[in-house]
Amino acid sequence: MERPRIASQGDLVRFLDQNEGIDPARLVPLPYPYEDWVDEPIKEITEDQRTRIEVGPDGVCGAQIPVPQSEEEKERLVASFLEGLRKLLTKENNWTFLQPLLLSMENCVKCQTCAEACPIYTGSGHMEMYRPTFRAEVLRKIVDRYIKPGGKLFPKLRGNDIELDWETLVKLAELSYRCTLCRRCAQQCPVGVDNGLLTREIRKLFSQELGIAMPELHQVGTVKQLTVGSSTGLNPAGLMDIMEFAEEDITDKTGLEIKIPFDVEGAEYLVLHNAGEFLSWPENLQAFAIILEAAGISWTLSSELVGYDSVNYGLFYDDIQYSRIALKHYEIAKKLGVKKIMMGECGHAHKATMAVADRLIPDSLRVRAESCLVALEDLVTSDRLRLDPSRNDFPVTLHDPCNITRSMGIIQPQRNILAKIAPRFREMEPHGVDNFCCGGGSGFAVCQSLNFPDWRTRVSGRVKFKQILEAFADSIEPETHKYVCAPCSNCKGQMRDLLTYYDAWERCGIMYGGLVELIVNAMADIPEGFLEWEFH
Amino acid sequence: MVGIGLLVFVWVAVIAFVLGCVLKGLHYALTPMHLRWDLYPVAHEPRRDHGGSYLEEKDWWTHKRRTSLAAEVGVMGEEIVLLKGVWQHNRSLWWGSLPFHWGLYLLVVTTAGLVVQGLGWSPPVLTSVLPWVAGVGGFLLLLGSAVLLIERSSSPKLRPYTTPLDRLNLLLLLAFGAASMAVVLAGGFGGAGAAVTSILRFRAPEVTFLLGAQMALGALFVLYMPYTRMAHFFAKYFTYHKVRWDDRPYVAGGPFSSRLEAALEYGMDWSAPHIQSGHSWRDVVTHIPQQDEKGGQ
Ligand code: SF4
Ligand code: SF4
Repeated sequence: MERPRIASQGDLVRFLDQNEGIDPARLVPLPYPYEDWVDEPIKEITEDQRTRIEVGPDGVCGAQIPVPQSEEEKERLVASFLEGLRKLLTKENNWTFLQPLLLSMENCVKCQTCAEACPIYTGSGHMEMYRPTFRAEVLRKIVDRYIKPGGKLFPKLRGNDIELDWETLVKLAELSYRCTLCRRCAQQCPVGVDNGLLTREIRKLFSQELGIAMPELHQVGTVKQLTVGSSTGLNPAGLMDIMEFAEEDITDKTGLEIKIPFDVEGAEYLVLHNAGEFLSWPENLQAFAIILEAAGISWTLSSELVGYDSVNYGLFYDDIQYSRIALKHYEIAKKLGVKKIMMGECGHAHKATMAVADRLIPDSLRVRAESCLVALEDLVTSDRLRLDPSRNDFPVTLHDPCNITRSMGIIQPQRNILAKIAPRFREMEPHGVDNFCCGGGSGFAVCQSLNFPDWRTRVSGRVKFKQILEAFADSIEPETHKYVCAPCSNCKGQMRDLLTYYDAWERCGIMYGGLVELIVNAMADIPEGFLEWEFH
Repeated sequence: MVGIGLLVFVWVAVIAFVLGCVLKGLHYALTPMHLRWDLYPVAHEPRRDHGGSYLEEKDWWTHKRRTSLAAEVGVMGEEIVLLKGVWQHNRSLWWGSLPFHWGLYLLVVTTAGLVVQGLGWSPPVLTSVLPWVAGVGGFLLLLGSAVLLIERSSSPKLRPYTTPLDRLNLLLLLAFGAASMAVVLAGGFGGAGAAVTSILRFRAPEVTFLLGAQMALGALFVLYMPYTRMAHFFAKYFTYHKVRWDDRPYVAGGPFSSRLEAALEYGMDWSAPHIQSGHSWRDVVTHIPQQDEKGGQ
């Protein structure tokens, strides 16, 4: 099937009016043993569903926008959007990102240097609507035409010939959920334009003005976290049950009697875990406990609402929700009087708490925060843990979470750890600061609705899966167990779905997990076999 | 008459240019402090070779921060002189973009040289070198603009994102480059020096048709350039230094404190259900709406 092509500037606008379905045959090809892999088509959204929920121009549904009930409602929504766009451009409403927004809006020279950097654009087989500049261009045209003075003068000449209606807005909103905000494109832009940031600003405008956002991020994301305590729905009572189970599990596996500490005032570290770990990968929580206890570190978890879940999905779509959660985390740490916050294995929580919030937290709530990767590197390389790397005698590769690497520059500590515990470690290419997103970034990993998971596994995660296969090319047979180390909860969620869809455990023996599990697996004082090689 | 027209037009262009640059600079510089949004590698970081940051250090806040201005200048230099990013990631565009940029650089140098001469400092080396700089600059601009015009009109990845105005702009620069080269080849460069001197003294210059056209084209470009995205030549200062490479940590009581306090007092009027419109940032973000109130969803 020929890809629809955009021939001219005017076509870019018209292009919005036509749909471009995903053609499985055009997806980036995979290496051995997947040369003959035939992708299942992405599930179609049914006619019945379409009467209730808007669908993106690629036939995928991410934002799950309710269909307006009347023409009047559509007009009202378009007017609200324009009102929100005006607000987005004021310092009072958007001091948080106004400067980078203006810089990226006004200085793109459309050189397309960023295009090949994007794993979604390339992974899809170069679908035009996934080009990093595409959605930014649509936004730019709307601003130029409807917001800037004189915008309606010579629209064709200036390329502002866009007519704004509800259908265009739906496409823009949906396309803002086809970018993982990985910022790989921004890294390669010679001007310093950040299309990831622009995508986030689009999401933000829809959320903060129209109340439209991916439900997994908003209603069952930040709203749930702020009211129930965790986006997983885990309340404090449930949390205690899980901890009890984790303590028993540690004893069963290792013989160690560890009491997971809660609300210890004045502890060295308040450890902030992504609560998804507690439910989906409790071995990660257990491994942390084993390491910190073995190293004699004073640490604590919090049992306070929000304090036991480091997740901050506001980072991906809404500055207000983001700020509420970030402030809450610091408030809890301050109240406990801990010396530092340790960010567990969660990339976006790292960035939300340590980097972005660095200019949000007032003096009165300041507590220093550190990455677990840095703290663990100190323990592993200073020989405070007795390690036997031969226990990890299997191929290991490392997935770099974008938020920890590209957005924070934490690259080397995890490698220094692996150098000590994983004798058959090999890099993916490219890696480190140049890594590819797992395809589940910006909250996508938690979206399990409609056909969005299909899109995540076939399109946004395609390039990552290809990288994993290439990293293990020398031992791809299923008899050799292999480990993708992904020190991030959301990345692990995406890995689980990717490896499941491609049946990679059965076909190639590829497992995934965190970094602490590998460390504990190599600890000489712990009975062998902490890593259980059971795909879950 | 032509001379007076040119005199006025050149000064209008210069004033519009300066005004445009100042306004645009202020437009960016006067925005409030934004949340941190750095992107690695950061050029001044000692760990830049692997894209690392000081956050890789244990208890990073207890260590003295080291930064390298020389490394920043080096990275910027590579970008400005060699367009390294385009070379690495967009090779096909580089072949047109490099001569285009170098053409502009050399014509800026020419203009600066003529202004210096006009102000009365005229070492012989300048007099002998400037025509070459102008001629080569004109040629490179002509070449670069032509290649870019062809690329932008034919490449499937560039054409859809190129407006008619972009093409007009390239055509103008192509004509400017051609005229600059032609002035030198026609032996009229001496007249350019005299014309610039006259303009600096607010006197109508005497120019040939070719030189007049060349100066008018250049002035036209200078006049509107800061109001277009070609202003990226100085916007890049902000995108790099104030966003990508801005890794300055917050220090309690330091310059960020007061700016944050001011920002938290801004009133917001977002309309979504989870936001209490009309209140300050501080009030809205420190209040967690419960299920039964606005914002509770
Ligand atoms: S975002 Fe940057 S790299 Fe991409 S087209 Fe714009 S200027 Fe070029
Ligand atoms: S931020 Fe990442 S996913 Fe989004 S457009 Fe850029 S490269 Fe693609």
